Amino acid sequence: MKSLLLSRFLLLLPWGLIVLLLLDTDSSRAPLAPPARPPRPTAPRQPALPPIYAITPTYSRPVQKAELTRLANTFRQVARLHWVLVEDAARRSELVSRFVSRAGLPCTHLHVPTPRRYKRPGLPRATEQRNAGLAWLRQRHQHLPPPQPGVLFFADDDNTYSLELFEEMRTTRKVSVWPVGLVGGRRYERPVVENGKVVGWYTGWRADRPFAIDMAGFAVSLQVILSNPKAVFKRRGSQPGMQESDFLKQITTVEELEPKANNCTKVLVWHTRTEKGGMSEDVELSIKVNQKSVKRY
Amino acid sequence: MVRRRNLLTTLLIVLPWALLLTLWHQYPATRYLILLRKETEENATAKARFNGTSLLREEGLPSCSWQQASGVAPKVIQNYVYSRPPPWSDTLPTIFVITPTYTRAVQKAELTRLANTFLHVQNLHWLVVEDSPRRTNLVSNLLEKAGLNFTHLNVESPQSLKMSGPSIPSHKPRGTLQRNLGLHWLRDSFNNTQPPEGVVYFADDDNTYSLELFEEMRYTRRVSVWPVAFAGGLRYESPIVSPAGKVVGWKVVFDRNRPFAIDMAGFAVSVRLILERPQATFKLEGVKAGYQESSLLKDLVTMDGLEPKAANCTKVLVWHTRTERPMLGNEGKHGFSDLRMEV
Repeated sequence: MKSLLLSRFLLLLPWGLIVLLLLDTDSSRAPLAPPARPPRPTAPRQPALPPIYAITPTYSRPVQKAELTRLANTFRQVARLHWVLVEDAARRSELVSRFVSRAGLPCTHLHVPTPRRYKRPGLPRATEQRNAGLAWLRQRHQHLPPPQPGVLFFADDDNTYSLELFEEMRTTRKVSVWPVGLVGGRRYERPVVENGKVVGWYTGWRADRPFAIDMAGFAVSLQVILSNPKAVFKRRGSQPGMQESDFLKQITTVEELEPKANNCTKVLVWHTRTEKGGMSEDVELSIKVNQKSVKRY
Repeated sequence: MVRRRNLLTTLLIVLPWALLLTLWHQYPATRYLILLRKETEENATAKARFNGTSLLREEGLPSCSWQQASGVAPKVIQNYVYSRPPPWSDTLPTIFVITPTYTRAVQKAELTRLANTFLHVQNLHWLVVEDSPRRTNLVSNLLEKAGLNFTHLNVESPQSLKMSGPSIPSHKPRGTLQRNLGLHWLRDSFNNTQPPEGVVYFADDDNTYSLELFEEMRYTRRVSVWPVAFAGGLRYESPIVSPAGKVVGWKVVFDRNRPFAIDMAGFAVSVRLILERPQATFKLEGVKAGYQESSLLKDLVTMDGLEPKAANCTKVLVWHTRTERPMLGNEGKHGFSDLRMEV
C-alpha cells in the first residue's frame, strides 16, 4: 500500500512542478520586460514608448571622449533611446569602440570618412555621417510594415540636451520643432508660432531660409524617413546653414511642422561648443605671461 | 508484454522530469524576476520619501535625507521631474559635490548637463553656490526640477574677484569664496564628534565627469587624488605613484614647485578631515595661479598621506573641459531676444 502511494506521488510530483513553474513564469513575466534588455532608469509600467534614435556624428580630437562621456550620461537617463554614433573615420577607432562597449545604453557604432575635398572651412560638416545614420535606420526597418514607431534627431556631440527635450520629441507625428539656445548670434533661435502652427522664424542669421532652424532644433518621425527614402543631406549646391533647410524641404512643409516646448517658448537644448584646449584661464594667462618674459631675453 | 510495459512506465516516469529540466533551463531567470519586482516596489516607496525632503530652500539647513529618518511627511512636488537618482542608501558614504557657479549665457546649459550626470550617482548631495547677491530663479528652478538632493547657497564675490570679469595674472583666484562657503556649510551642518561617512569634491560647472570617478572617490579616508585631462596645458596632469602605491611627485609641466600640483578636479577630501580641521579653507590673498588647491591641501594632508585612485593614477576619469563663450553679436547693444525666455 505504502509503496504504491509513494510511487504514485513520485509520478505526480514532476507534473505538479511543471504546472507551478508555468504559472509562475506567466505571472512574473507579464508586467516586466524580458530579462535580456538592459535595465531602464524610468518606471517600468508604461505602454511601449516610441524609441528615440539619436544620430551623432563624431570625430577624433582631444575632447572627443569627454564630449561622448557627458552625452552618454544624459542619454542614459532617457528611456528607449538608441544612440547611433557615426565616426568621421576610415575605420572604427579603438577609443570609440571601447567607449561604446561600456556606454550603458543601446548603441550602434558606424563610421564613414569625409572626403578630404570637403574638409575645408566654410563647407557643411558631418553630412556623410548623418546620411550614414539615416541609411542604417532605413536598412534596419526596410522589411518591417509601416507605420514604424519612433523618432530620430541629430545630436551633435558638443551640444547640451535637457531631459525634458526627449519627452517633447517623443510625440512627434511627422516633424517637430523647438527653440535652440545660444545659436544664430543670439541667446536663442526659435520658430514663430501662431495658433499652434509655425508661421515664421525668429533668428539672427539668414531668416530668409525656408527652414531657418539649427540641426538641434527638430526631430523627424521614423516613418517619415522611411517613406522618403531619397531624403538625405546634400553636398552639391548646399551652403553652410542651408543643410537643415535643404533636408527638411524634402520631407515636409512649414505648415506641417509641430511646435513643441510649449509652443516654442522654452529652451530645452543649447548649442554649446567646447574649447579646444581646456586649461583654466589663470593657468593659461600665467603661461602666456611667462612666455612673454622669456622672449625679452 | 512485460517488457513493453516496463518501457512504457519508464518513459512515463522520465518524461515529466525531462520536461521539467527543459522548462527550468528556458526560464532560469524566473526566480530573479520575482526578486526584481520586489526591488522595484521598494524603490518606488524610497523615491517618494526621498523627494519630499529635498526641497528645503533656507540657507544653512541640511536639506536632504537626514530628515528622512524622522519620518517627515513628503511635500507635494509641483514640477514634473524627468528622472530620479538612485534611492538613498543609509550605508553608502555620501558624496558632497561643491559647485561654484555664476550667471552667464551658458550657465543653465552647464548646470543641466552636470545634473544629468549627477542623477546617476547614488548618495550624492549637490551644493551649488552662486556668485550672486541673492539666489537666482534660474538656478533655484533648475535644482528643484532636477530631482537631485541639493543645497542652494550664494555669496557674492567683491568686484575685484568676480568670476565673470577679465582675469589678470597676478590675480585673485575664482570661485574661492563660493567654495569656502560650501565648506562652511558642511562644518555648520555636521558635528565633529559624529562626522557622516562621506567625501567632499569640488566640481566646477564646466568640467566633464565620468560616473566611475564618483565610485573611486567615495571611500576616501583622508585625501584621494587622480589624473585630470587638459589641466596645466597638457593632455593630462597626474600624480606620480610609486610601486608601493604612494604619491611621490607630480607629472606636470606648469609650475612643478607647487606643493600640490593638482587641479581642483583632481582630488577629494573626506568629510571627517574637513570637520577635524576647521581652519582649512582656500586662501584668498597672495595665491598665485595654480596654487589655490595647495592653499587648502597643505592644511589638510602631506604628500605621503594622499591616496591614489583610478588604478594608481593611470586612468583619466575627469576632463577639464571649457565651454566657448557663445557669439551673441546679433543681440546688439540693447539686447534683441525676449528676456522672458530663459536660456
